[in-house]
Amino acid sequence: MDQVETTTPDAPAAESGGSGKLKTIALALIALGGVLSLLAYMDEGGKTRFGFAYLLGFLFCWAIVLGSLFFVALQHVTNSVWSVVVRRVAEMLAAPIWVLALLFIPLLAFALLNKDFGIFPWMRAEKDALINHKAPYLNDTFFLIRTVAFFVIWIAFAFFFVRGSVRQDEGGEGRVKGTKRMRNVSGPFLIIFGLTATFAAFDWVMSLEPHWFSTIYGVYVFSGMFLSALAAITIAVLYLRQNGTLGFVNANHLYSLGGLLFAFTCFWAYIAFSQFMLIWYGNLPEETVYYVKRIKNGWMPITLAVVFLRFILPFFLLLARGAKMDPKRLMGVSVLVLVGQLVDLYWLVMPAQGDGPVLGWQELGPTALFTGVLLLYVGVFLGKHKAVAAGDPLFEKSRDFHL
Amino acid sequence: MSNAAAPEATRLVGMIGFRDDPDGIITAAETVRDEGYEKWDCHTPYPVHGLDAAMGLKDTPMAYICLIAGGIGAGAAMLMQWWMSVVDYPVRIGGKPLFSWPAFVPITFEFFVLFAALATMGGLFVLCKLGRWHSPLHDTGVMEQVTSRRFGVVLQADDEKFTEDGAKALLEKAGCVDIQPLIEFVEEEA
Repeated sequence: MDQVETTTPDAPAAESGGSGKLKTIALALIALGGVLSLLAYMDEGGKTRFGFAYLLGFLFCWAIVLGSLFFVALQHVTNSVWSVVVRRVAEMLAAPIWVLALLFIPLLAFALLNKDFGIFPWMRAEKDALINHKAPYLNDTFFLIRTVAFFVIWIAFAFFFVRGSVRQDEGGEGRVKGTKRMRNVSGPFLIIFGLTATFAAFDWVMSLEPHWFSTIYGVYVFSGMFLSALAAITIAVLYLRQNGTLGFVNANHLYSLGGLLFAFTCFWAYIAFSQFMLIWYGNLPEETVYYVKRIKNGWMPITLAVVFLRFILPFFLLLARGAKMDPKRLMGVSVLVLVGQLVDLYWLVMPAQGDGPVLGWQELGPTALFTGVLLLYVGVFLGKHKAVAAGDPLFEKSRDFHL
Repeated sequence: MSNAAAPEATRLVGMIGFRDDPDGIITAAETVRDEGYEKWDCHTPYPVHGLDAAMGLKDTPMAYICLIAGGIGAGAAMLMQWWMSVVDYPVRIGGKPLFSWPAFVPITFEFFVLFAALATMGGLFVLCKLGRWHSPLHDTGVMEQVTSRRFGVVLQADDEKFTEDGAKALLEKAGCVDIQPLIEFVEEEA
């Protein structure tokens, strides 16, 4: 087959231009989000509202980062060739998990110090019988231990995978060994990931409404998480492809990314409907309360928006074969998926406040701030490291990948 | 068909040439495609990536067959469940409306998949012209070669551009070796 005339990129992306603009956007977002967050926090009556907004912004970035770590491990465990050219982008998005650990500290402090108007009702002094029954799991100490454990585990594995890949850039004999080591660790990690991501979803999101429970909830949060990570990876790949850094990413690679986006769009619908239908069919008040809250009080438009943004629109926009290879279409759908993720998280988190939907600048501050922080990290990463895992033994094979 | 029963007549059905590697068959296919032949085919022991484009094949209508059949299946499933639980045997369950569509979604989904899968399989058979009992290639030794180790280009004699010498020249131009006519034995009708 024809040899593709491409050179292996040796320089970090920053030197070939492109990350300067990224940093400007990042700093603008940080400034804007910071000011809005500060104003929202200073607002006397709005502490709880700010707490929820903070959680929303945190979860949005957390999903992208942890989902990217899952993507990296998934490519290792399946021994994928096609994804080697885009894996560094996922690694770059997975690396800042320690930043998110830092960002979680204020939320934790806020929740623990403001128990009576904090965001987790089970932390309050007055507990009803149901919450007392769940107290062996839902108590401050155990919550703290779990949160620390989650982050320690994620940071350790993110460090392992990113470091291992970056080390291969230097070349040398150890590259094959490094890949093999990552392959071996990826399998056990995926099991640990499944458990930690599920319990993190229970702890940080489901426990906002501690009376309610759903065993599929962790999978639901995971499906949205992986979708948003895929969308973020796709956007970053398309951006770096356009400025030439990842110029060798061809239609076959894009098709694989688009195919994953499409598949997990269906996966989300499957999981979301499974959760809804069983609760609707069983019709038990202790379970239906969750959906009743999200249908009444003006929440119905948001519920429908989630269904459209998460499933119906991306499904039909990506259905055709050509659509999964078209950079413009992929970019549009990826942005749509990220918007859908934000609306979905809003739908998961905000009804716990009790009233109808509220949306103002107070809700958007932390999301803008944390997205800015994430972008800034990506800009710094691109300045220090290559934008592609060119040291991976499978790199050449991946570059010439054909479906 | 064995040679024991001496054939009464023969007919030239095409011309075949071989290449020995997948890269070769791609360039050969491009050459034949650019010449404007319409009735021709490539035979390879395994799927060769990029051959579709090199042969200038049009997109398959399979996606539409699949989608339309799936849509019909989903519609049929919804209709069936509506008829069963609203018209034919209405039973009020759990105080829910007779037409409780969320409960019908799993069956509707399964019917979508079932119809789409069966139509895809059937459509594939039709588009591949399966069910044809005989191909002239089977009479020659080439089938054995192109299913095990070699890559063959066949120009069919019923193409408008086909002449024996022209086909031979084109296959040579395409870099093929072992160029040979494909002969079909025709039993004369009594």
